[in-house]
Amino acid sequence: EREKHKGKRRNGDRQKNERENQRRKRPSKLVQGIREESQSKTERRERSRRRRRRAEHETSIHEGNERERDQTRAKSTKSKKNIKNEKTRKLEGKEDGEAQERSGKGKLKLVCAKNEEKIESGDQLKEKEKALGVKKKKKKRRKKPETSEEGDDEEEVNNDGEVRPELLSPEELEKLKDAVDEKKKLIQSLRGKPWPMKQKLVTLRESQLFVEKYEGALGKGKGRKLYAYKVMMTKKWMKFQRDFENFKTACIPWEMKIKEIESHFGSSVASYFIFLRWMYGINMILFGLTFGLVMVPEALMGRPYGSIPRKTVPRAEEAGAMDFAVLWDFGGYAQYSVLFYGYYNNQRAIGWFKFRMPLSYFLVGVGTVAYSYMVVIRTMARNANESGIGDDNSFNFSWKMFTSWDYLIGNPETADNKFASITTSFKEAILEEQESRKDDNIHLTRFLRVLANFLVLCCLAGSGYLIYFVVRRSQKFALDGLENHTWWERNEVNMVMSLLGMFCPMLFDVISTLENYHPRVALQWQLGRIFALFLGNLYTFIIALMDAINLKRKEEKVVKYNITMWEASLYNGTGSENSTAPPITIHPADVPRGPCWETMVGQEFVRLIISDTMTTYITLLIGDFLRAVLVRFLNHCWCWDLEAGFPSYSEFDVSGNVLGLIFNQGMIWMGAFYAPCLPALNLLRLHVSMYLQCWAVMCCNVPQERVFKASGSNNFYMAMLLVILFLSTLPAIYTIVTIPPSFDCGPFSGKNRMFDVIQETLESDFPAWFSKVFSYASNPGLVLPFILLMVLAIYYLQSTSKSYKEANVELKKKLQMQNEENKKKNKQAALKAQMDLEEARKMYHGRNPSLSAGDREPQFSARGPGPRNGHNGNHGNPRYLPGFRQQSEPRMCRVPSLERH
Amino acid sequence: MTLLIKCIHLPFSFSSRMVSPAIALAFLPLLLTLIIRYRYYFVLFYRAVLVRIWKDCVTGLSREERAFQYVLTNSTPGDPDSILDAFDYWCSKVEFISNIGPKKGKILDRLLMEQNPLTVLELGAHCGYSAVRIARALPLGARLYSIEMDQGNAAIAEKIIRLAGFDDDTVELIVNPSDEVIPRLRSDYNLERLDFVFMDHWKKCYLPDLQLLEGYGLLGKGSMIVADNVLFPGAPKFLRYLRKCGLYEWKIHRATLEYSRGIRDGMAELIYQGIK
Repeated sequence: EREKHKGKRRNGDRQKNERENQRRKRPSKLVQGIREESQSKTERRERSRRRRRRAEHETSIHEGNERERDQTRAKSTKSKKNIKNEKTRKLEGKEDGEAQERSGKGKLKLVCAKNEEKIESGDQLKEKEKALGVKKKKKKRRKKPETSEEGDDEEEVNNDGEVRPELLSPEELEKLKDAVDEKKKLIQSLRGKPWPMKQKLVTLRESQLFVEKYEGALGKGKGRKLYAYKVMMTKKWMKFQRDFENFKTACIPWEMKIKEIESHFGSSVASYFIFLRWMYGINMILFGLTFGLVMVPEALMGRPYGSIPRKTVPRAEEAGAMDFAVLWDFGGYAQYSVLFYGYYNNQRAIGWFKFRMPLSYFLVGVGTVAYSYMVVIRTMARNANESGIGDDNSFNFSWKMFTSWDYLIGNPETADNKFASITTSFKEAILEEQESRKDDNIHLTRFLRVLANFLVLCCLAGSGYLIYFVVRRSQKFALDGLENHTWWERNEVNMVMSLLGMFCPMLFDVISTLENYHPRVALQWQLGRIFALFLGNLYTFIIALMDAINLKRKEEKVVKYNITMWEASLYNGTGSENSTAPPITIHPADVPRGPCWETMVGQEFVRLIISDTMTTYITLLIGDFLRAVLVRFLNHCWCWDLEAGFPSYSEFDVSGNVLGLIFNQGMIWMGAFYAPCLPALNLLRLHVSMYLQCWAVMCCNVPQERVFKASGSNNFYMAMLLVILFLSTLPAIYTIVTIPPSFDCGPFSGKNRMFDVIQETLESDFPAWFSKVFSYASNPGLVLPFILLMVLAIYYLQSTSKSYKEANVELKKKLQMQNEENKKKNKQAALKAQMDLEEARKMYHGRNPSLSAGDREPQFSARGPGPRNGHNGNHGNPRYLPGFRQQSEPRMCRVPSLERH
Repeated sequence: MTLLIKCIHLPFSFSSRMVSPAIALAFLPLLLTLIIRYRYYFVLFYRAVLVRIWKDCVTGLSREERAFQYVLTNSTPGDPDSILDAFDYWCSKVEFISNIGPKKGKILDRLLMEQNPLTVLELGAHCGYSAVRIARALPLGARLYSIEMDQGNAAIAEKIIRLAGFDDDTVELIVNPSDEVIPRLRSDYNLERLDFVFMDHWKKCYLPDLQLLEGYGLLGKGSMIVADNVLFPGAPKFLRYLRKCGLYEWKIHRATLEYSRGIRDGMAELIYQGIK
């Protein structure tokens, strides 16, 4: 009955569809209806919206019979509501809406007309929205004109049926499943759809609802429950994963701080802090190794303090061993503790589970260095990979322009940061672009660069000579005896070194303005130069240390001789015959001992680190903080503008800080073997400087004038670190391999060389065959071919990687070509579409006169939203005929659909 | 006697013991850095102070008179452009006078073109360079009031302005300190509203004069005030006032100091908004 009713109502172009639909089977219609529902959901929503609005006018405007029909319809639906499930209710509502809308659709014209005549009190916004809605619908229709109409009809048919998953046949279920999958696909591809944001949101919400509703409903009986459970679990799992990701990000130490700094100061300053954090991580491992495997076992299981001479403060120093000055200098009790090499005993195994202390000491020493090498090289390789992939520079600005903002930001502070970071990134990009477009007088630039390098070389040579001169002089002083000289003369080397280290970089900085490099390149040059300077300083320090070691060893020989004499005299004095009797107990503090050069080296390194740290912090406080305070508060009573003028605020010195960090690390690597406390100290230093520098940079520094992207320089830092690592392990290994250990201190005392501990372990702790195998394996006849093989393998890998790189470049080119081709094709297609459009228009104009008078009106109205009102106004209420409306609709969509191409 | 010998001996021994030559040498890079970094200031000091004193002694004329002599012999009368060019050449190559200079002058020209003011006030005419520059860019029927405190400078400015071909109707030179003239502008000169004010006199007077202008109601909504040299030598109080008061829409055009490449300077552009 209902269908008939509807059929009566519908005539015109829909008749054909309807007939087809009626012929169809019901269940399939149902499923299709569901699909249709999904497809036309947005459409429906708009309709219902319109319906709501129209309902206001309904009573006043609508004609009687139409209204009656609606009312009966509403009644009939209401009566069925109680037995229908939610889904059908929805369909019903939709259907209901459609009916009303259908009646209202004609009214649209009416309303428009009225609006134009200013009869209707409704505001124009509403009217406009309506027009918009119509247009949207038209678009929809145009997309799937036939199917959507089918859907409309079917939904009405489906109203009397119930949609319960249990009652569906497997076939239908399959289809439902398909529909759900389609929805899912739609959700995924929604982002790329060329729709307005509103529509997208609506579609997304509705399809999500749909999926949620029917996903769980799929499957039968137990299977269904299981399926629902599975779906729920996947959701939970995904949520958990997301939360876990968030948690992981929150766990990255100092991430927020660094992000904040990055947003204000650009990536170059942030790269320093990231590097600092990375360094902190490495030092954490080093600290763990030395602390866990050397210091703690010795402190817990080794002999206690005061048991043997090497673990006791000598009698002569006992009086001042607890003075702060002595402790600050790492003498006294600090020297005779687990912090330094000399405290360790050469006992092979300590504690109840026979911890091999000397072996552990040696292996930890080697292991820290090996680990550092591994990490640095691995990081370098990873960085190289990343930089290889991600340099897609095309459409740089467009990317930045349209994709920079993060719409998930909800915190005003974060938004500020993001704003700042986008601004800085734009600055960086603009600078980059300017730099790439610049073409100056190339000869002049070259000359200036050569000149600058010459000047820097002169400066380096000068400073090198100065240091050499000072070191020579200090050696002379040392021979004279330090007591005869003043404090200035005694500390001349340190003074000169730190002064040069402070002032020369400034000079380099000034000279580098001559070169006119891109700031990133300039930073690298600056880094390289300061690197050379620091290296000179470091090596003079090492040379001085070597001299000291040699002196100590001479002293040691004398002491050794004296000790044998002393022991002999001791024995002779007590009783010469009774040699089997236990030796007289002498307090270990009174026993004479050697100078122990290893501890001396360790102490020197620790002192250097401490003074270096102090210098850094004091420079930070005075140079940055005090300056900032002065500039800030003296500006009120000063004759010129301090902030904008001469002293102003300081900029963050990336190169100096990075090099400071790198050289500091180098010293740690060098000295860690002789002073196990060094990694701990360094950890402390890094921790403090992280906070201090983060604070200082945010509170006292201003962003650099030329903010630049520093992502490329990370590997540069790593390369420098690698060089320093190599250069710092060189002297350490040299001392370990060539110089015999002291006879009365340290874990290797009594051995000829430090690495003898391995041989000893092999002989005594492993079965005989193992040491045999090892001795064979260490035979040069086996080692040399092995090395040769390794070289060959490296060469092979190198060449394959090169070929891969080439292939990558080729592929990239190919991709680019393809892109361009696609672009061309698209362009051609667009041109063709335009031509088609023109033609269609011409055709349209040609066809126009042949159309009936009633048809002409909507066609005109479809051409543009502007003149529609006017045309509508020309014929008003009396010319409204339901038939025309229905006919005109598909045609109305025609012109916009063509324009869209 | 021995005391005297000791006294002579002491500083010598003291110095030899105190600072070893190596440590002194380590300060050399710092010295070089400072010299190189602040070379523009040294050059400015040399050109603006030393050369001026030297020339004053040699010629017996003031700096402005020398500039005027040069301009008189090297430019075509009645042509403001040639006069400005001559000034620019003299200031950049021979001696230094802190005029507004060609680069910042261009900004000034542009602002004048955009604003098209009818009454313009200039504080600090000095040699008349900026007066000529402004008068050149003014629309027909506009009038420039130029205030100069110094008698001698005003005489030269007068000559320069007349040389450029601007008569009394276009440019009126008022010889008096600015803080005396501004209160009388309304009564003596029948000024109701100033469309454009250019400040280039004593940097310390920027703020008081601006406040005077505000106080006497000479600024209307949309009046533009341009202040030169706000960064070097700098008018920090003026800038701070701008930041705080909220009466103006303002920005700083960053540029370098006139006739010098390396010293940064700025020109503040203010548009009076009135109390909101």
